[in-house]
Amino acid sequence: MPPPLCSRVLLSHPFSPMSLMALREQLNMLVNSMYIEGLLDQQFQQLQMLQDASSPGFVAEVITLFCEDAERILTELTKLVDQAVVEFQKVDAYVHQLKGSSSSVGAQNVKLACIQFRQFCEENNKDGCLNALNVVKHHYYLLRNKFDTMLQLEQRIQAYDSKQQN
Amino acid sequence: MEEVEKRDEGSHDGMLEGGVEVRVLVVDDSPVDRRMVEVLLKKSGAMFQVTSVDSAKRAMEVLGLSEDKTKSPVVDDQKVDIILTDYCMPEMTGYDLLKAVKEQSCQKPIPVIVMSSENEPQRINRCRAIGAEDFIIKPLQTNDVLRLRSYARTGLPPPPPPSSSSKAGTKRKMTIDLLAESGGSGSERRRPRLTGLAMA
Repeated sequence: MPPPLCSRVLLSHPFSPMSLMALREQLNMLVNSMYIEGLLDQQFQQLQMLQDASSPGFVAEVITLFCEDAERILTELTKLVDQAVVEFQKVDAYVHQLKGSSSSVGAQNVKLACIQFRQFCEENNKDGCLNALNVVKHHYYLLRNKFDTMLQLEQRIQAYDSKQQN
Repeated sequence: MEEVEKRDEGSHDGMLEGGVEVRVLVVDDSPVDRRMVEVLLKKSGAMFQVTSVDSAKRAMEVLGLSEDKTKSPVVDDQKVDIILTDYCMPEMTGYDLLKAVKEQSCQKPIPVIVMSSENEPQRINRCRAIGAEDFIIKPLQTNDVLRLRSYARTGLPPPPPPSSSSKAGTKRKMTIDLLAESGGSGSERRRPRLTGLAMA
């Protein structure tokens, strides 16, 4: 007895919808785990909701802007906090910027780490700042890693979608 | 870095009341926030033409304003219907920009909405005291940008205030008062304004 029609179509299709489904499933699981682990908060949902047919690459675009901006700021912070005499106001200004952009994209852990960092700036606490910078970097690079995976999955899904449209 | 981005988001059919496209000048040093606001404005369904700049200084240039107050503006200030500015920016802050715009002697200074990630009543009151139309806590949401049209200077006569002869009618003033009173009231109330109090 031949397998049901739907199975034959799924198994024989060259760009198997099962693979596309698997990619989507993987992406959903990744994003859900990021929410559960506190890497992302509901603000990221706002980004996702703003992405549609007229702006299909919006999430990727904002993530990329965020990462470029964050890395620029972390580079500056590393230099500033490493100085013998730390200019806490300058440090705070950069941390404030990073807190703002992480808040805008829903990068929750990074945002919370920035809030802690600002406390140490207010206290003019150099050791606290050094430690806080490491915490921010830890959370940022963890997030960056997952964002990279997310964007790769998105690209593969887009590739499937555009092939199916042709 | 200086950049001016102009995105014409009003190229589709479907006119809103008065059929007027609202020209928004977005001022924010954060590239992430500039992009977020641009897309929020585009997706709101209203017809916005968005110009973004990354500094208050650049905004002054776009508006044709001089930091020298003895000079009157040379350029027609009709280019922008509403300014949406971040508060915290290096060198020239959003507050400084707000002050410069409101000090212009033209009959109808451009409405200015200030954005900030900090929900500080003192900051809000400072801005209100020199004429800010509203104060929005970041990150912006869709309903924040929907309200912008009610503040925009469209060249149409403003609706008559309910009882006062003042241009900033009672409803708008009450909105900002409530904002100041309920500032810092917890993480859930990032936007302590009553909806439904937007000007008609």
